[in-house]
Amino acid sequence: MEKSTLEAQTLASAIDIGMIDLKIAEFYVTPGGFTGLRYGENDHNRITLRRAFPIGNPEEYISVADKTNKEIGMIRSLSELTKKQYEIVVSELEKRYYSPTVFEVKSVKDKLGYVYMELLIGKEGAKYKKNCAIKDVNKNIRMLDDDKLAIFDVDGNRYIVESLVNLDKKSLKRLEPYLF
Amino acid sequence: MPLKHEFHYDLDPSMLPANGTVSFDKTGQVMSEIGDTTLCSLNAKDMTELSVNGEVGCGFLFAKMKDESEVLICRFTLSCMKSAGEFCKVVNFYIQTKQYVNPEKRQLPVCQKCGRPLVEGMSVCLFCFNRIGVLKRALGLLRPFAAKMIPAEIFLAISSILYLLVPFFSRILIDNHLRPMEGTHTQIIVLAGAMFLARALGELIYILSSRIFNQASILYANNLRNLAYEKIQKLSLNSLSKRTPGDLIRRVMEDTGIVRNFISDGGRWAIEQMIVFVVVLIILLLTNWQLTLLVFIPVPVVSIALSRFWRFIRIRYERQWRKSSRAQSILHDIIKGIRTVKSFGKEDLEIEKFSKATTELAEVSSDNEALWALLFPTMIFFTGIGEFLVLYFGGQEILTGSLTLGVLVQFTMYIGYIYGPLRWLVSFPRWLADAMTSMVKLFEIIDEEPEIISVEDPNNVSLSGRVAFENVSFGYKSYEPVLKGIDLDIKPGEMIGIVGRSGAGKSTMINLIMRLYDPSQGKITINGVDIKDMSPEYLHENIGVVFQDTFLFAGSFYDNIAYAKPGATADEVIAAAKAANAHDFIMQTADGYNTIIGENGYSISGGERQRLAIARAIIKNPSILILDEATSSLDVETESIIQDSLNTIVEGRTTIAIAHRLSTLKSADRLVVLDQGKVAELGTHIELLKKKGIYYNLVMAQRKTSKIAEDV
Ligand SMILES: Nc1ncnc2c1ncn2[C@@H]1O[C@H](COP(=O)(O)OP(=O)(O)OP(=O)(O)O)[C@@H](O)[C@H]1O
Ligand SMILES: [Mg+2]
Repeated sequence: MEKSTLEAQTLASAIDIGMIDLKIAEFYVTPGGFTGLRYGENDHNRITLRRAFPIGNPEEYISVADKTNKEIGMIRSLSELTKKQYEIVVSELEKRYYSPTVFEVKSVKDKLGYVYMELLIGKEGAKYKKNCAIKDVNKNIRMLDDDKLAIFDVDGNRYIVESLVNLDKKSLKRLEPYLF
Repeated sequence: MPLKHEFHYDLDPSMLPANGTVSFDKTGQVMSEIGDTTLCSLNAKDMTELSVNGEVGCGFLFAKMKDESEVLICRFTLSCMKSAGEFCKVVNFYIQTKQYVNPEKRQLPVCQKCGRPLVEGMSVCLFCFNRIGVLKRALGLLRPFAAKMIPAEIFLAISSILYLLVPFFSRILIDNHLRPMEGTHTQIIVLAGAMFLARALGELIYILSSRIFNQASILYANNLRNLAYEKIQKLSLNSLSKRTPGDLIRRVMEDTGIVRNFISDGGRWAIEQMIVFVVVLIILLLTNWQLTLLVFIPVPVVSIALSRFWRFIRIRYERQWRKSSRAQSILHDIIKGIRTVKSFGKEDLEIEKFSKATTELAEVSSDNEALWALLFPTMIFFTGIGEFLVLYFGGQEILTGSLTLGVLVQFTMYIGYIYGPLRWLVSFPRWLADAMTSMVKLFEIIDEEPEIISVEDPNNVSLSGRVAFENVSFGYKSYEPVLKGIDLDIKPGEMIGIVGRSGAGKSTMINLIMRLYDPSQGKITINGVDIKDMSPEYLHENIGVVFQDTFLFAGSFYDNIAYAKPGATADEVIAAAKAANAHDFIMQTADGYNTIIGENGYSISGGERQRLAIARAIIKNPSILILDEATSSLDVETESIIQDSLNTIVEGRTTIAIAHRLSTLKSADRLVVLDQGKVAELGTHIELLKKKGIYYNLVMAQRKTSKIAEDV
């Protein structure tokens, strides 16, 4: 993490943030299609995984909660998982955080405070077109960092432009008026 | 084929787009299919509940089975969230009652013109809405001022025509008296005098019309401002919280000004220039139509160029608007939160943040100005090319004798007049762009449908009856339920205590009773009448509420207590203050009840603020009293003093009190324990203790902490 001042370290050592003991943890896929966790004696048959820093640091500090949304513990880093466990966890995370990448901005129309965009989204190898309406562009088109852009449509769906620098010129030109 | 309930979803299990359907038929079969593949097939009879879960950017539908297992039915993007919720309702109704609701085809609101579905909360289709429409509305609002505007326009027309006489006199002067050089002194003086008079009179009338115009436009702007302000007061919290205060302030204060300028200056100019243009054009055509046509050669080119620039310019101005609104928001936030900023020593950081925003604004503005400064003269130059052609061909005609000098002078003078409007047309897009942006922003507010709709014919029954939540569900965002199927019956005169974890939805229940939001499902009734059928004003007048985050207005103690009941007598104010145990500390101050407290009441302590808020809530003698953590900042002693006096006034009044400190609720008749948006436990203090559930644990936990306090 960016901050590691002396104070923070002493605070962190004073307070236990409850890491999961991966030696006794086993993630598995339930017959119902969810991800479960056998942790010591306990068997949680539907867990929710949440990223603490979904934007800057999606691979570290993953919170694992049970059905009732009570945190079981945290995973410090996905890299601590075995390959098989890693796959299960990442696939669950990808389902929970659904934010298709924007590859191209095909058109932008601006009407009465709403912006309509035709986007080419998806992931590498599976791209598709999507029309979306965006309200309050100030809030709903915003930079996540210097180069990464998030677009939120009226329904709350999110689309991510991974890198503005790498976006094609035409798309960039269409987006340009809405960037801050 | 018999109709089935269907829910259409849009993602396959690997999160790729798909056209899937979940169907639910009479036999209770719930089936999820994508194309011909069946993903899962279950029977509702084996389920305890069908449920939706909102994730980040997506959600899923799953069944909780009787054998405690859970089965995923489908995943979808947030666009399907709402219909998924509706689908669940139908299935859960079946699970609970074994009744199959007959599916009916439901109609989504669509645009009459293009057939596209309308965006939620909007009554106009955004694709079919046009600029002209916006302009028409802005002009329509001018109607009340027509009585002033019309004479002003007439004066303006007279003044323009007076100006147009000048070239006409020039031609007579040159052709009749100068060219053959046979004019007399008097004739020249008369002509010069006529020119002078036409000018002077024109100028005078112009000043007169400007005055009338300005008056009318100021009233117009005021009108717009009030319209926007009124609307903001009426809009639901839901739509207001989507915008920053800076944004709203900008709309009310600045956008109205810009629209006003556009209407007053732009409107005046447009008409003046139009008259000049038509009159001059006729004169020119009559004088020499061939030369006239030369003037218009560059016009098509320039217009095409302009229309191409239009969109470009507009987006730029929109952007400038946003930057400016952002800078204002930052300023507003910082000023409001100045205490926090200072106590964290973050002034420099905030200065930097603001100056970054203003620098960006300056950059965009200066870019726009630079572009404009380039565009404008270029356009003017190209529009003016025709003039050179006229001089060239006109000159030749004079040499051949087919045109007199006077006519050419008059002609070129008139060309000057006609270029005025043409050039004005060039700068018009910018004006329009500016004004349009502001108009759209204004109408966006003015047009927003209030989500809380008051019924035409309210049924304002007495509020002293029982208050009931009937299967109430609600979420601030449609995909994030906060309350899920709350059932609660509060008897008249009962004191109900609500406890539960922070974030459980306690304050949300209050918001619903106050009708600051409407439940997404179920209803709240008072005395058997849905609160939606009462007028919100009546409701608010008869419910006294102390919110968790107390807000006091800049004003005196007196003003703040009497706020709920304008015209309250001194007796009432003092009685309310005494009941709230505020009287004593108010009397400690030099100015007593006239002491001015600053904005937010920052100049008094947190507990004092709460006591004022209680006084404000009880002064109107409400039938229902709601206390949301109303005494949380008070010491236990003061709290119990207030409670004693409250107990005397609370009698016979329905009271709903929320508190984390359980001792606050000791006099409650019954307690509701909220957990995860549902009523988890309900009963008296003793009953709940016996149950050894959530409440019991809360009590034990608090005992433990107070034990620690005792030990010290
Ligand atoms: N205006 C709002 N917009 C969106 N979400 C909100 C809004 N107000 C509250 N929430 C969310 O709704 C949930 C319930 O909030 P609520 O204020 O009812 O909790 P509460 O039980 O009163 O908590 P507390 O004891 O801390 O006052 C919380 O998760 C909160 O984040
Ligand atoms: Mg609260």
